[in-house]
Amino acid sequence: MDWSFRSDQPIYSQLVQQIRLAIISGTYSPGQRLMSVRDMAAEAGVNPNTMQRALQDLEREGMVCSQRTTGRFVTEDPTVIEQAKTKYAEEQIRVFFETMRKLGYPREAILALLKEEEGKHADT
Amino acid sequence: MPILECRELSKHFGSVQALDEVSLTLEAGRVIGLLGPNGSGKTTLLKLANGLLTPTGGEILIDGLAPGKETKRIVSYLPDRPYLAEWMKVSQLLDLFEDFYDDFDRDRAIEMLLRLNIDEEMRIKEMSKGTREKAQLILVMSRKAKLYLLDEPIGGVDPATRDYILETIIRNYNPEAAVVISTHLIADVEQVLDDVVFINQGKIMLQASVDSIREEHGMSVDQYFREVFRC
Amino acid sequence: MLGKLIKQEFRATARIMLPVSGAVLVLALLANLSIRGLSGNMSNVPALRMLLAFIVFAYGAAIVAAAVMAMVIMINRFYRNLLKDEGYLMFTLPVSVHELVWAKLIVSLVWFLVTGLLIALVCSATALNISHTSLAEVFREMPSWSEIRDALKELGVYNGLIGLTMQGILVILLSILALCLHFYAAMSLGHMFSKEKILLSIVFFVVISFAFSMMQTGISIAGFEAIDRLHPVLDSQNGIHDFMMLAWIFIGMKLIQSAVLYFATVLSLKRGLNLE
Repeated sequence: MDWSFRSDQPIYSQLVQQIRLAIISGTYSPGQRLMSVRDMAAEAGVNPNTMQRALQDLEREGMVCSQRTTGRFVTEDPTVIEQAKTKYAEEQIRVFFETMRKLGYPREAILALLKEEEGKHADT
Repeated sequence: MPILECRELSKHFGSVQALDEVSLTLEAGRVIGLLGPNGSGKTTLLKLANGLLTPTGGEILIDGLAPGKETKRIVSYLPDRPYLAEWMKVSQLLDLFEDFYDDFDRDRAIEMLLRLNIDEEMRIKEMSKGTREKAQLILVMSRKAKLYLLDEPIGGVDPATRDYILETIIRNYNPEAAVVISTHLIADVEQVLDDVVFINQGKIMLQASVDSIREEHGMSVDQYFREVFRC
Repeated sequence: MLGKLIKQEFRATARIMLPVSGAVLVLALLANLSIRGLSGNMSNVPALRMLLAFIVFAYGAAIVAAAVMAMVIMINRFYRNLLKDEGYLMFTLPVSVHELVWAKLIVSLVWFLVTGLLIALVCSATALNISHTSLAEVFREMPSWSEIRDALKELGVYNGLIGLTMQGILVILLSILALCLHFYAAMSLGHMFSKEKILLSIVFFVVISFAFSMMQTGISIAGFEAIDRLHPVLDSQNGIHDFMMLAWIFIGMKLIQSAVLYFATVLSLKRGLNLE
């Protein structure tokens, strides 16, 4: 998987976001065994301690679970993934509306634009 | 006990003050960036830690001991220059490291060298500059040391080699150890660091964790460094 | 650890010294055959005579080269391996400075002895080859032990033979050690500085030479005066005693020189190491 980092946020929180997205979008499938921390860190080009911290955060969220001997796995609980997906979608929409409002569009105009845009995609 | 400790450490070369009463403590289990412009005292500090220089004042302790035979057993050092004898074959270098360092893992070194298509019969002088740098790093990282001191490991290499070097460091360091990476190319190493130490004109300007800098200042360590050192 | 250092040192030096010694041996064989050929009437062809003469010349050159090489290797190993970039590896090995210096000393000593013995061997072989017509003649004329003993008795050195031999060995060993350490100390002292390291090494070499030759002259004069007072009239019995006494003084002097130079070397490497 491709990793990229922005400069204005701690790396571990960006790792959390990117792994969470990978699970939601199915890049990592439910129940899949994850690579070792060290290998994941090497793949992402980050420090293993940072990767460890990110995975612990995800564990707390329930997105991944660890079995002491066999390693770390993506959660098999569909509701956890579904909830995270909803939360992520809501977050995206919230950000979208915020941006549009900053650009000066009222609510109705935004919805109209959305409809129009969707119509375009239906044509193609 | 800290793995590396400096107490009011000073080093002069004639009238030039390379390090000026530096006090610094580094703990095990961290990857630490020793960051500063050229000539800021990074190499001098690492040479002092290796016993290649003697302090003018103060002291430096490795795992509680002054640099010497005992500390050299647990320190794995990559100098900022090619330092392997040109006539030597890879197999002879492996012998040498195996002879002197109890913590050297020969099989791991061979495996990494083979992945780069370096076979044991190859001599250092037959290698390109980039291959030499990689071979040196492989020897240094094949030790299970308590302290790795890497002086400009990515200075003057192409981006692919840089990625290879950083990946080799991450994959191979002993997790109970501390890794010190000295460099002036901050943006290139920032992602692999836990902590940073800013050094300038022989003085420590800042010691902090990468995450805390990003959190507090909302900018990368590289950007923050430019801010701090802006003239 | 000293053993491992010595092993490494032999590995680094043998790759040059072994071929050089081998070349001397092969050329010695060829040259002695050539000398035979030149003195015999089998070579009236000018081209062949040229070739044979060239082989003899190459042999002489190889002997000189071997002696020079032992010297160059001794200096160069210390300089390249400890004071230049390779020093970054050597001084970060878990070994003491004493071990580093001794490894260099012992291996240089061995090569000087090997080269010296080799040269002595091939030179005497050549001398015998020239002075004798056949190998059988060499063996026929070989003096027996009793003849040697009588000759030694006549010279008045027979009774002190063991002592003299011991002294001879000590003189050779200590002279080689002092020579190596003279170079080591000068280079180590010169490389404590940040600039003009080589120039300063040469300056230190000259200064050390000067200091030691002053000391040597002073002690020799004192030694001769003491002997003069002790034995105003020389006979062979006194002669051998006086000679041995002078030899002991010389040995003592070399011992002191070596010790001073050794500590100068170790201290400047320990406290003043300043790799570029």
